Amino acid sequence: MAFNLAQLELGARARVTLVGGSGALALRLLEMGFTPGTVVVLVKRAPFGDPLELQVRGCHVSLRKAEASRIEAVLL
Amino acid sequence: MTSLRGPTSLRGPTSLRVALAGNPNVGKTSLFNELTGARHKVGNYAGVTVETRAGAVVARLAPSRPITVLDLPGTYSLTPIAEDEAVAFRCLAGAEAEPPDVVALVLDAANLARNLYLAVQLLELGRPLVVALNMMDVAAEAGTPVDPDALARALGVPVVPTVARTGEGIARLVEALGSIEHVPQAISPLRARLLADDDALPAPPGIGAARWRWLVSAAAAGTLDLAGPTAEERAALAAHPAAALTAAAHARVIARYREVDALLAEIGFTAAQRERAPAMSRSAAIDRVLTHRVWGLGIFVVVMATIFSSIFTWAEPLMGAIESLIAWLSDQVSAALGPGVFTDLLTQGVLAGAGNVLVFVPQIALLFLLLGLLEDSGYMARAAFLVDRLMARVGLHGRAFVPLLSGYACAIPAILGTRTITDPRDRLATILMIPFMSCSARLPIYVLFISALFPADDRVGPFTVGSLMLVGFYALSTASALAAGAIWKRTVLRGPTPPFVLELPPYRLPRLRNTLLHVYDRTADFVRQAGTVILAVTVVLWVLLSFPRPPDAPDSGRDVAAAVQVDPTAHAPKDMSPAAAKDGHSDMSQGSDENSPIVYSIGGRIGKALEPVLLPMGQDFRMGIAILGSFAAREVMISTLGLVYGIEADDENQTPLREALREAREPDGSRRHTPLKGLAAMIFFVYACQCMSTLAVVRRETRSWKWPLVMFATMSALAYVLAVLVYQVGRALGYT
Repeated sequence: MAFNLAQLELGARARVTLVGGSGALALRLLEMGFTPGTVVVLVKRAPFGDPLELQVRGCHVSLRKAEASRIEAVLL
Repeated sequence: MTSLRGPTSLRGPTSLRVALAGNPNVGKTSLFNELTGARHKVGNYAGVTVETRAGAVVARLAPSRPITVLDLPGTYSLTPIAEDEAVAFRCLAGAEAEPPDVVALVLDAANLARNLYLAVQLLELGRPLVVALNMMDVAAEAGTPVDPDALARALGVPVVPTVARTGEGIARLVEALGSIEHVPQAISPLRARLLADDDALPAPPGIGAARWRWLVSAAAAGTLDLAGPTAEERAALAAHPAAALTAAAHARVIARYREVDALLAEIGFTAAQRERAPAMSRSAAIDRVLTHRVWGLGIFVVVMATIFSSIFTWAEPLMGAIESLIAWLSDQVSAALGPGVFTDLLTQGVLAGAGNVLVFVPQIALLFLLLGLLEDSGYMARAAFLVDRLMARVGLHGRAFVPLLSGYACAIPAILGTRTITDPRDRLATILMIPFMSCSARLPIYVLFISALFPADDRVGPFTVGSLMLVGFYALSTASALAAGAIWKRTVLRGPTPPFVLELPPYRLPRLRNTLLHVYDRTADFVRQAGTVILAVTVVLWVLLSFPRPPDAPDSGRDVAAAVQVDPTAHAPKDMSPAAAKDGHSDMSQGSDENSPIVYSIGGRIGKALEPVLLPMGQDFRMGIAILGSFAAREVMISTLGLVYGIEADDENQTPLREALREAREPDGSRRHTPLKGLAAMIFFVYACQCMSTLAVVRRETRSWKWPLVMFATMSALAYVLAVLVYQVGRALGYT
């Protein structure tokens, strides 16, 4: 299993390699800027550990872990 | 070139139609209000709850010709994943009406790296485009100033810098819009690249390239129905395997972002600059507190408590004032017209009905004022972020929390508040959950039965039985709401979990003017749409409970006024007046009920006819009439029951009715209202959807009678079955 964004440590940066799966979620993730090559930073986890706050393309976007795990990346 | 122009060039100097597009949180609403002077009409597209607003550009801005502006929903993209985007695309593509002549795209200058995605999609659509480059001040402050001329060259469309907050640049935007047709828009290399049909899945003949890409994306997202495809289009899509559609849709998004990056490079952004979020640095500092795992949750609780008390108690004086005004108007009408059926119709039907509508206005206005301010400031997204984990357990979005909480005060504003939930299934599930929450109108009913039928000094440990029962009812209602939500989400409303992709926008100072306009739109819509239903039902209830009148009591309808009118102050019982209490005592001793005018009425006869059905849950025809009357609003049950007993009573002045209930005897000398019967009645009111206003609002929000009927039927059935169960099991165990 490749590294994905749900496994990011706080403050760590990663470069997106692939948005897996099909359907509305995959398309929405891509449209929000999680395209291959984009650098993502984990800014924060919500108080109960989920969802996550990620920085992507100059925005802060919140994703649930289950959704973030669909985005494969390489740690920078 | 001509193909890029709107059909207006053929229509002469008529009004220019402009569609305002843009991402959420880019100041689009402020810009719209500046352009139109905040005079607009709210519209809805058929079948969806997405609102659009339209207004004319004000003369002060000196448009060279009349311009009307249509405000589209704020979207990140035009791909129809949700209704918002579908509405925006259908409007821009001219699927329903004539397409707009010009698109005005609002871009956040401080966040071009994501905002330009929508610009690229709009260029693909090929409609004349003018960019309003908003938040120039924020971008400059954040150290990433944008050169509008460079952006105009790169995009190949006019770019007007604006600061919507101050109105700066608005006049120039109007000028640019008015002259768009005289300035031929050259096809830039970018636009040419975007329009080139280089897809892996080329558009079949007869379907435009932009339309085809849109259909492919919708098919890949599994939301093809939102795109409203023709039979031919469906057939063309069906010719391709799903994997090919997904691959093509994904490749298209990636290609668009490649163009965005090329655009950013062209206007001088480095890769590092587009990655960072300089406009977010101040917000990140605020978030260190507001989404902190301890402080954040603490502040969240305080914010929610403030919202809750605003609709629970702050609205109360205003509601009392509305009640007084209606009472004063009724007196004036009665004095002017003298007694008679027509006077009663006006005062007890029409005026009482108007009161039943207006009484909700303070709660709705307050809730939307607070929600609007929090939404515009950026806090509501954080609130959803904080509690999403908890809400996800029930299968709901974090945004469902506030409406559910508001349900403890009143279901009406709570149901209206579900509009912040974008997924239609999630929104409907939340709407169906809200009436289970124990609203403030149920409280007087619990108080009546508990204090009438349960000894005040019965204790379990340090707590009185009554207070434990109250806590129990609230716990029961909460558990039932959560269970109902889980059941609906797993059955009828089952579907793929909607993506929780939530932007946490930069914090901004909300603009009171924008929020107040929103509050006005919402409230006016409630009065117009749900209000008519509430008014009509009030009149019908008045007729049912007033006619026919007993032959010897010509003025008997008088008491019904008190019964059918919703009592706005139900939420905070006041001290009852001693005089009223004394009156009540003297009336009570008569204990008349069979001869009350209300028992003689149609409603009374319905109550009697229902008695065989009510007996299994320990209730008689008197409660049947009270349940019928409580359809106006739950607390009206008290004044209706008072009328049956020939007593002036309402939820503030309960003492005489309490004593009547306590003293009432059956012919055999046994107590008529026993604790067990009272408990069964209270269980019934925990579950029964006895509130015409709730049903009217659900109809308005779901655009059909189907869901209010489903809600009423399921909740009534549940209420009946559980009340029967409580009574029968209680009796079997030897309780009375």
